[in-house]
Amino acid sequence: MPFISKIERQSDYNRFSSSTPIVIDNGASYFRIGWAGEAEPRVVFRNIVQRPRHKATGETVTIVGDHDPALLKYFDCTRSGPRSAFDSDVVFQFEIMEYILDFAFDRLGATGSEINHPVLITECVCNPVQSRSKMAELLFETYGVPSIAFGVDASFSYKYNQQRRVCDKDGLAMCPGFATTHVIPFVDGEPIYKGSCRTNIGGFHVTDYLKQLLSLKYPYHLARFTWEKVEDLKMEHCYVAQDYVSEARLFQKGAKEAEEKTKMWQLPWVPPPVEEPPSEEEIARKAAIREKQGQRLREMAEAKRSSKINELENELRGLEFLLNQLGHVQESDVPSFLAETGYVSRQEVESARNKNVQSLRKAKGEQKSEQDEIEKTDPNEKYTLINVPDDMLTTEQLLEKRKQLSIKSMSDGRQRLKQKRQEEEQERGRKQQLEEERRLANPELYVEQLRASYNDLSEKLNQRKRLKTNGSSSTNGNGLAGSVGRGERLNAAQRERMRLLTTAAFDRGKGEDTFGAKDEDWQLYKLMSKDNDDDDEEPDEDSIELARISSRLQELDPTFVPKVETGSSQPAEVPRVRPLTKEDFQIVFGIERFRCPEILFSPNWIGVDQVGLDEMAGVSMRRLSCNNERLEERMTKSILVTGGSSLFPGIVERLEAGIRMIRPCGSPIKIIRALDPVMDAWRGASAYASTPGFHTQTFTRMDYYEKGEDWLRNYQLKYSL
Amino acid sequence: MENEVLDAELVLPNYLSFKRVQMYDKYPKGQSRGRHWKHLKQIIQAENYQNYPPDEPNYVNIESPPSMHPCKRICDITGYEAPYYDPKTNLRYANTDVFKTIRSLPNDYVQRYLSMRNAAVVLK
Repeated sequence: MPFISKIERQSDYNRFSSSTPIVIDNGASYFRIGWAGEAEPRVVFRNIVQRPRHKATGETVTIVGDHDPALLKYFDCTRSGPRSAFDSDVVFQFEIMEYILDFAFDRLGATGSEINHPVLITECVCNPVQSRSKMAELLFETYGVPSIAFGVDASFSYKYNQQRRVCDKDGLAMCPGFATTHVIPFVDGEPIYKGSCRTNIGGFHVTDYLKQLLSLKYPYHLARFTWEKVEDLKMEHCYVAQDYVSEARLFQKGAKEAEEKTKMWQLPWVPPPVEEPPSEEEIARKAAIREKQGQRLREMAEAKRSSKINELENELRGLEFLLNQLGHVQESDVPSFLAETGYVSRQEVESARNKNVQSLRKAKGEQKSEQDEIEKTDPNEKYTLINVPDDMLTTEQLLEKRKQLSIKSMSDGRQRLKQKRQEEEQERGRKQQLEEERRLANPELYVEQLRASYNDLSEKLNQRKRLKTNGSSSTNGNGLAGSVGRGERLNAAQRERMRLLTTAAFDRGKGEDTFGAKDEDWQLYKLMSKDNDDDDEEPDEDSIELARISSRLQELDPTFVPKVETGSSQPAEVPRVRPLTKEDFQIVFGIERFRCPEILFSPNWIGVDQVGLDEMAGVSMRRLSCNNERLEERMTKSILVTGGSSLFPGIVERLEAGIRMIRPCGSPIKIIRALDPVMDAWRGASAYASTPGFHTQTFTRMDYYEKGEDWLRNYQLKYSL
Repeated sequence: MENEVLDAELVLPNYLSFKRVQMYDKYPKGQSRGRHWKHLKQIIQAENYQNYPPDEPNYVNIESPPSMHPCKRICDITGYEAPYYDPKTNLRYANTDVFKTIRSLPNDYVQRYLSMRNAAVVLK
C-alpha cells in the first residue's frame, strides 16, 4: 500500500516558536499535518472518524483515522461505519472535522492552553464561503489559532514542482483527486481560477466502481471486498489503457498479451478432505451387519405371523365348538343360548366362522382365488334360489334370493370386464403385429413416421399446457409457478373467471334482478369457483399415446432422447452440487484493471455527465480565453499531473494522446507527472508557509470579524511571494 | 479498556488541554447528537451565486460541461465494446454470449448493473 499512515505522537512540539506555522493538507482521503519548512508532514492519517461502542464497557468512543484492524475487535463497529467530514470535496460536517483536528494536534504533540501557531490549511478550488468561514471559526474559537491562511492543494503542488523546474510558470495543473478532478491554468506562476474546471469524479469513484464490479462478478465472495482491500487492489493492479477500445478487443479475442495482463488474486482455500473408498473389510463388515438386521426383521415378521395364525386357529376352534353345540340345542332356545356369546343367530356364527377361515388362509399365504375357482365351477349350485318364483318362497328365502341375485350380477360384471380386457389385449397384439410388419417392411420410414407423430403429439400437449399456464415458461424463465409476474397474462380459464366476477360485482341496479329465475343462473357459481380452473389431471389419450410412442422409439432408435418436460408445474431439477475447487476462490482481474480508471476519462460510464480528464484541458483553456497562441503553447508545454489518482501507470501517455486530439496540429505538448503526486501539495504548502512573506497572506481573528463574509469570499492567496 | 488499546492510544481523549472549548461542552451529551449540518447542495443554495457576476469563479460555475465527444458505449457486464442493447433490461451487451447471460440475470442484478451508470429504474 503506497499510502501509509503515520500516527506516532511527536515529542518536540515545544521546540517550535509560536511564529512557526503549522501546515495542514486537509485532503478528502488523507489528512497531513506538519511544520512549515520541513520536508515531510509529521502526522498522516485517513480523514475519517468512527464512533464505535466499546464492547466491555458499552461507552461510545471516538476513533480517528485508520488503525490496526486487529485492535478494533474490542469495539462494536456495526452501528456506525467510518464517516468523513467531506461532501464531494467540501468540508460540511464540522463536528467530525473537530474530532480530526483534535487528533491531529494531539499527535503533533500540542500542549498548553491553545494552538499558538499560524495555520495554513488547504481547501478545494472556490470553496463555498460557508465552509470556509465555519473552518475559520472552528480554528479561531476552539483552538485559539492566532492567524489562518487558506490555499488550494493543486496550486501548492504546482508551485512546488515549478520551484524544482519540473514545470514552467505558465502551465496547467491537472489534479485527479479523491472525490473530484480539477484543472487549474497557471499564468505567470499564479493560478487563474476563472479558467479552472472541476469534474466530480476521482479515486473514490474508481474504487467504488471496482468494488461494485467485483461484487457483481463474484457475489459469493462479497464479504472479501472491503473498501480497504479494494483500494489496495486498485493501487496494485489498475492502469490506464492507451486506447480503451483496442485494449478491450485484445481481451475479447483472448489474445496472448491479454492473458499476460490478467492478474489473479487467490483467496485462501483449503481443499476439502478426499474421502477414501471403503476397504474390503469395511464393505464385508457392513454387509454382515445388514444381513444380521435383515435376519432379525424376518424373524420378527415370522413370529408375528405365527402368533396371528395361532390366535385365528383358537378362535376358529371356539366357533366350531359353538356351532357343534348349537346343533344339539333346540331351535327355540338358540337366542338364549347365544346371549352370552354376543352372537344373535346361527347364521351370524357361521358367517363369522367363514370370515375367520378366510383370514386364516390369507395369513397362511394360501391363494384366495381357489375359492373363486370353486365359485365358478358350479354357479348353479350357489344360486339355487334364483330360478324359483318369488311366491314360492318364504320371506327369509326371498331375502336370500335377492342377495344371490346381486352377487350373481356382480360376478357376471367381473367376467364381462375380464372378457373385454382380453379382447383389448388381442386388439393391441394385432396392432403391434401390424406395426411390426410395417416396421419390417421399411424400418427407416417407420421410425421417421413415429418421430413425426411424436413431435406432433408433444407439440400439441405443450400447446395445451401453455394455454393452461399461459406461457410463463416460454418468456424468460423468471416467471415462477403460480404467480402472475411481469409480462404474463392469465390463462383462458382464469380470465373467464375474472370476467364473471367483475360482471357480477358491477351488474347491480340495472333493471330488475332476475338472477335465479332460471336454473342455469346457478351454474355461474360453479364457473366462478376456484377449483374450476385446474381441470382434472387425468392423463388423457394423447399423453398415453405419447408415452407409448416415446417408449417404442426408445426401443428402436438409440439416438432418440425424449423431451424433458419443463413445465412450470414440475419441480425444477435440483442442481447438482459441484465440489468447490481452487478456481472458485480466484478473483480474476482482466479488463477491470483498466476499465475502472477509464472512468476518469469517460465519467458518463458511471452516470456523471461531464467531460473527462483529457477534455478538461481544452475546457480550461477555452475558459481562460486569452486569445494568445504563444501563451497557450507555453501552457501545453507544461502540463503537470498531480493528485492521488494520477498514480495510475499510463495516465501521462494517455493524456498526451487525448490532449493532442483537441489541440491544433503540431502544437507542442508536454505532460509531466509531479515528483510525488501525493505529498507535493503538503510540501509546497510547507515551503510556502516558511517564506518570509507568508504572514502577509494570513488573516487574524480580528480581520475575520471586522472585514466580514464578503471579504472572506474574495480572499485569495498570492502564491508567488 | 484493554491494555493494547490504551497503548496504541486508539481512543481520542475527551479532554484536550489545547482546546478552549471541549467537545463535551460544545456538544453536550443527551442532546440531539444529530445536529444538522447543511449538505453541499444546501450550502450551494445558501451561497446565492446568482447574485454575483457570472465571470467571477465560484464553486458552481467552475464545474465542467458535458462532453462534446460521442460517448463510448461499453458492455455493462464484460466491459467490451457494446454495439447492442437489450430493450428489455436496458443493458448494453457485446455479443450473444453476454446476451444469454443478461437474459438469465435476476432482476436485482440487472438493476445493480444499471445503477452503476445511474440508469436504474428508481421507484418513488
